Amino acid sequence: MSIYYYLSAFLFCLGLLGITFKKDLISMLLCLELMLGGVALLFILFSKATGFIDAQLMVIFMMIISACEVAIGLSLIIALYRKKQTIYTNDIKILTE
Amino acid sequence: MYLNYLANISRYIPELLLVVLMVGIIILETTYKEDDKNKKYVFITAFIGLVATFVSLMINLSGKSESIFSGSMIIDPFSTVMKMVMVLGALGCFYLSTISSEIYESLKTEFIIMATGILIGGMILASANNMLMMYIGIETLSIISYVMASLKKNDERSSEAGLKYALYGGVSSGIMLFGMSHIFGAIGTIQFSGMAAIVSKLSHNQLLVLLPSFVLFFVGIGYKVAAVPFHMWSPDVYEGSPTPVTTFFAIVPKLAGISALVRVTMIFFSFQSPLRVGWVGLMMAIAALTMTVGNVTAIGQKSVKRMLAYSSISHAGIMIAALTTVNQIGISAVVFYGITYLFMTLVAFYITSIVQDNYGNDHFERFQGLAYRYPFMAIMMAIVMFSLTGLPPLAGFVAKFNIISALVESRYYTLAMVLVLNSVVSAYYYLKIVRLMTLKNQESDEEIEGFGFLNQLIIVSMTVPVIVLGIFWNGIMAVASGAKIFIQ
Repeated sequence: MSIYYYLSAFLFCLGLLGITFKKDLISMLLCLELMLGGVALLFILFSKATGFIDAQLMVIFMMIISACEVAIGLSLIIALYRKKQTIYTNDIKILTE
Repeated sequence: MYLNYLANISRYIPELLLVVLMVGIIILETTYKEDDKNKKYVFITAFIGLVATFVSLMINLSGKSESIFSGSMIIDPFSTVMKMVMVLGALGCFYLSTISSEIYESLKTEFIIMATGILIGGMILASANNMLMMYIGIETLSIISYVMASLKKNDERSSEAGLKYALYGGVSSGIMLFGMSHIFGAIGTIQFSGMAAIVSKLSHNQLLVLLPSFVLFFVGIGYKVAAVPFHMWSPDVYEGSPTPVTTFFAIVPKLAGISALVRVTMIFFSFQSPLRVGWVGLMMAIAALTMTVGNVTAIGQKSVKRMLAYSSISHAGIMIAALTTVNQIGISAVVFYGITYLFMTLVAFYITSIVQDNYGNDHFERFQGLAYRYPFMAIMMAIVMFSLTGLPPLAGFVAKFNIISALVESRYYTLAMVLVLNSVVSAYYYLKIVRLMTLKNQESDEEIEGFGFLNQLIIVSMTVPVIVLGIFWNGIMAVASGAKIFIQ
């Protein structure tokens, strides 16, 4: 059981690190998904360990919502790309001048 | 069972009305042609819908507190009052969106549709009673906010603001879920009600796991409230978004987040436990940091909108400070603060938006000499600025006084001192606007279009509560102290 815990914690941390250090927006979005995937695994794991199925419900909703989030994120990236012709965060900074 | 559900729906009418309103406006909008400028029926429908929601919330307020839908939501006076404040805020923002030139004509109905969606999310969040509902509320709030922040399609700042918001939001909700999963692992249920009993039976080790999980859980809410370590998105998003959207963000998601935080605090930490000590300590540190960082950073800003963004961060800090008391006095103070904050923010943003529409930007210099050109509006702005600082005899003073007295009663003297000192610091940047309006000569003689008779009337009618609540606060204070949290 604990190997799954480490796996999901690893996935979560990998996503968190990726989103902090990656420089292109698509990869950041992928890392975000990785993070949520890790958490979903964790929920299933705890659901199995405790014997309550509430958490499995949570995972289904998480999958739906993260799909929405990625759809919105991608469309925002496209909207920005149309104006700036780039998806690298270094070239985009306007607001924090 | 089914009858139970039907009976529950009668308490859920406000949210259902909003859903009907949202769908109705989507349908209504399709009846207009692409270039039709006159979409007044959409706005009339929206206003009627919101007023109906407000009335049904008032009916709800008189009913007894109960949990509905198998305990997944709670209808209690606290959530209902917070919802009413949110609906009023949305009403103000709807009107601002119709007069603002920052939202393109073709997108004005879209603003209303999305704002209604966010309002539904905020209402779910305000009465969420399990982790799933809280997560759904936060995400409904967030996902639509991302789109709304980038509503100004042709402006790259707006697009960037939306993207930034989306990435920060995704990360923080991920971290929140990580915390939630650990809380579930230790407690074995996602329902808030009854959790308190389980928490009190836990062993020392399990409590040790729980505290970090709660800290992670706080990240998600803290991000919505823009509490300090997680506030980085807020000024950028507030500055990049169109002003009506900024106004909306400063009111609805913030108050929704605060009410979720209040509920979590009251349910999990209203009894003595090692957890409570940790959580109150965390809240205190975050409140002090949020107030201080928000205020100090606001001083150096050139843009009024960005200044108001930072000041709204510090106001969130003040509301969090009241939470550290974890008792009904603190909660009433938060509710009262929320009500006054609504009116003050609305007036400040209305005037800023109208000035900005006229001059094209919102730097402090644009306010120069406003007192000679539009003395009435300048007086209103000055009143609101004094009130935001917390000077008597205005509403802001009473609100801050309530919070300080709640803190003193719980013997949190340091936090009360930090709050008072922060009010002094905030005087600098709030009164800067007053000084510019009165002491400097104006830049140009041109008339500001937005200050028509109707708009002036609306601004004045929103300023009246700021003055009245500073003198006759008893009525609203009674409502605020009646806003009790219902714990099963």
